[in-house]
Amino acid sequence: MQHIKTFTLVLLRNRWKDPFGVCPALTDWTRRRSVHTSSTTFEFHEYDKRSGYDTGFEIADTRIERIRLGLKQLKKEIKLWKKEMQETLISDPILDYRAGEIDVFWRFYEESSLDHWIVTSDSDHAEGFSKCDLQISHQGYGLFHGNLCSRVPKDGRIQNSGYCNMMTKRVLKSFQRDSFLDWSPYTHLNLRLRGDGRSYLINIHVSGQFDIMWNDVFTFVLYTRGGPYWQTTRIPFSKFFFASKGRIQDKQAPMPLYRITNFGITVSDKADGPFQLEIDYIGAEFDPTHHEETAYEMYEVQQNYIIGT
Amino acid sequence: MNNVIRMCRGFVICLNRQSVKSVQREFHSTDPRFDQPPKVDVVSVDSFNNVKDKNKKTYLDMLRVYQMEKYRSGHVEFINTAIKHMDEFGVNEDLETYKRLIQVLPAGKFVPQNYIQSEFMHYPKHQQCIIDLLQKMEDNGVIPDWEVEDMLVKRFGTRGFPVRRYWRMMYWMPKFNNLSPWPIPKPAPNDPYELALLAIKRISSIDIESEIKVYKTKQLEESIEDTWIVSGQSPDQKNLVANHPENVPIYIEGGFRIWLRKQSIIYFILRTEPSPAIQNEEEDEDDVSNFRVPFFDQPNRKTSNKIAKNKTVHEQEDGTILAVAATGTSSKNSLLSWIRFLEKDGNPRLSHIPILFTSKSPLGNVEPLSELDESKKEVEQSKQKVPIE
Repeated sequence: MQHIKTFTLVLLRNRWKDPFGVCPALTDWTRRRSVHTSSTTFEFHEYDKRSGYDTGFEIADTRIERIRLGLKQLKKEIKLWKKEMQETLISDPILDYRAGEIDVFWRFYEESSLDHWIVTSDSDHAEGFSKCDLQISHQGYGLFHGNLCSRVPKDGRIQNSGYCNMMTKRVLKSFQRDSFLDWSPYTHLNLRLRGDGRSYLINIHVSGQFDIMWNDVFTFVLYTRGGPYWQTTRIPFSKFFFASKGRIQDKQAPMPLYRITNFGITVSDKADGPFQLEIDYIGAEFDPTHHEETAYEMYEVQQNYIIGT
Repeated sequence: MNNVIRMCRGFVICLNRQSVKSVQREFHSTDPRFDQPPKVDVVSVDSFNNVKDKNKKTYLDMLRVYQMEKYRSGHVEFINTAIKHMDEFGVNEDLETYKRLIQVLPAGKFVPQNYIQSEFMHYPKHQQCIIDLLQKMEDNGVIPDWEVEDMLVKRFGTRGFPVRRYWRMMYWMPKFNNLSPWPIPKPAPNDPYELALLAIKRISSIDIESEIKVYKTKQLEESIEDTWIVSGQSPDQKNLVANHPENVPIYIEGGFRIWLRKQSIIYFILRTEPSPAIQNEEEDEDDVSNFRVPFFDQPNRKTSNKIAKNKTVHEQEDGTILAVAATGTSSKNSLLSWIRFLEKDGNPRLSHIPILFTSKSPLGNVEPLSELDESKKEVEQSKQKVPIE
C-alpha cells in the first residue's frame, strides 16, 4: 500500500509541484536507509522534468500568497478559455497549403514577441562562463548574440561546458494545460537569417508523457554563411535526427510533427568568442515533391554500423 | 565462472580477517563514513607536464617509454592522463596518435569469454577509458578508420562497448563530415592571410560572379603600412558604384567577425543606404465603383508601375553592400588604401563620392578598431590560459 501511495505521489509530482512538501521524505529512499549494501542508483525513474535545474519561477513562498496569485491567474485563464471557445466555434482552419508558401511562426517585430522565448546559457546554472541575450535589433530583427566560452569551471563535476540556447516556451492552452504545435501539413523548415559563419543547432522538442520521453529532441545543424548577406535556409523535417539528453539515439524515427512542444536554437561549437545570429523569421512550408519521412535507416544494419537496433 | 570463484574466495578471506577494511568494502554509503585512502596515480601528472617541447614526436615518445616498462600496470590511469594532455601537445586532431593510445592496452587480455561477461561490461574501467577516448575523437572531429575497429575488437571482443560506440560513430560522423555548404579545409590554415582568403570567398559565395583580389599596400605610393588586403567585389557591385549619386555617402563599416570553424577573421564592408523599395500600388480588384471597359473607354495613358528593374542580391533592405574586404592589420590606413585600390580597379567614381568611417552599423555588432590590436589580444589569451592540474 505504501508503495502504491508513493508511486501515485511521484506521478503527481511530474505535473504539479508537491503542495504539502511530503514527497522528498517519502520518495528519497536514501534518507530512510542511510546504510545499504549496494551503491545508490537513480535509474528507475526520474522525478523532475527539469532534471533538478531550478527555473527561478517559484515566486510565492506562503500558501496564502500562492492562492492570491492563483486567483489572479484564474481571471486571465478564463479570458483565454473564452477566446479558445470562440475560435472553436468560428472554426477557420487553413484549407489549402500551397507549395512554396511559407507560413511564419515566429518573428521579432515588437518587444512582446520576445515573451515567447527563453534564453539560457551555462552560466545561468553556474556550469560555465558563456553569456547570451536575445534582443530586437534596430532594424526589427531578432538578434541572438553573446559570448561563448568553453572554459570548464573547476568544481570537479563538470567535464564540458560552453553553450547558449534560445528556446520557445511550452505552448499552453487555457488553465495551463499542455498543448502542442501541429506542423503536420508541412515538409520543410524555413528560416531567414544572417549568421556569423558558425554552425548552430536547431532543436525541435517533442516531449512526451513519460520520463524517458521528456527529453526527446529532433536536431539538425544550421550552417551559416557569415558576412553581411541574409540567407534563407530550408531544411526538410525528414533530415532531423532523433536525440535525447544530447545523445543521438540508435533507433531513429520520423518526427511526430503533430506534437511539437518547443523550438530552439543552440550554439555550442567550442569556438570561444562572440557570436551573433540575426533572425528575420522562422517558418515552415509544404513541398508536394518531398516524400521522404526520415533520412536514416529504419531497419537494423547487420555489419559495421549501429543504426535502427 | 572463474571470476565468480575468485569473488567467493575474496569474500571468505574478508570474513576471516574481520578487519575494519573488510567492512569498508561490504557497505556502500551515501555519507562519507570511512576515510578513503588517497588514490595514487601510476603515472604522475608531472611526467607529461615536464616535457620541454610539446609536439607529436615527444607525445609518442611518452607512450613508447610507458610501453617499454617490464611490468606494465595502470593502463587506465596512463591513458586518462594522456588524453588530458592531448590538446597541449597539439595531437588532438591526429588519428595516428589516437591509434597509438588504444595500442597501450594489451590485445586479447580483456576479451570477454561468455555472454554474461560481455553484457555486464567486462573490465569496466578499461572500456570506459577507451569510450572516453572515442568521445574525445568525436569532439575533435576525427573520423576513425577500419583499422581502429580491428584494434578495438582485438581488445574488447565484438560485443565490447567501445566497439559498439565505434560503430555508431562510423554511421553518424561521415554523414556530417562534408555536409557544410561552405567547407573549410581540414586541418584549417593558421595563417591569417589564408583565413582571410577563405572568409572573403565564403562571404562572396552569394554572387558567383564575384572576384576575389589580393592587393599589397606596398604597391601604393601614399600608403604607410606594408600589409595585404583581400577584397571581394562582383561586376554587379561595380555597376552599383558607377550609378551611385554623388551626394549620398558611402560608409566603411566594421569590423565584423566571421568564424571559420574555430578561428575568426575580422572583415569590413562598403555599404550605402538601401535603394528605394519597389513601389507596388495595390489595386482593389473587388472595387467596382470605377469600372473600366477597355472596348469603349479611352486607353489608359498612365505608364505601368508593375515593371521595375530586379534588385541584385547586394541590395538588401538594410543597405546596399558594395564591396567586402579583410586586411592584415585591420587599421584605418589599410582600409583607406583598400578604397584607393578599388578606385584604380574599375570603380573610378569612388573618388567623387564622400566616404565615411563609421563605428556603428545597422548590420549588427561592430567591434571597434582599437580592440583589434594584436598585442592586446595576445595578453588576453595568455590570461585565459589555465594549466592543467
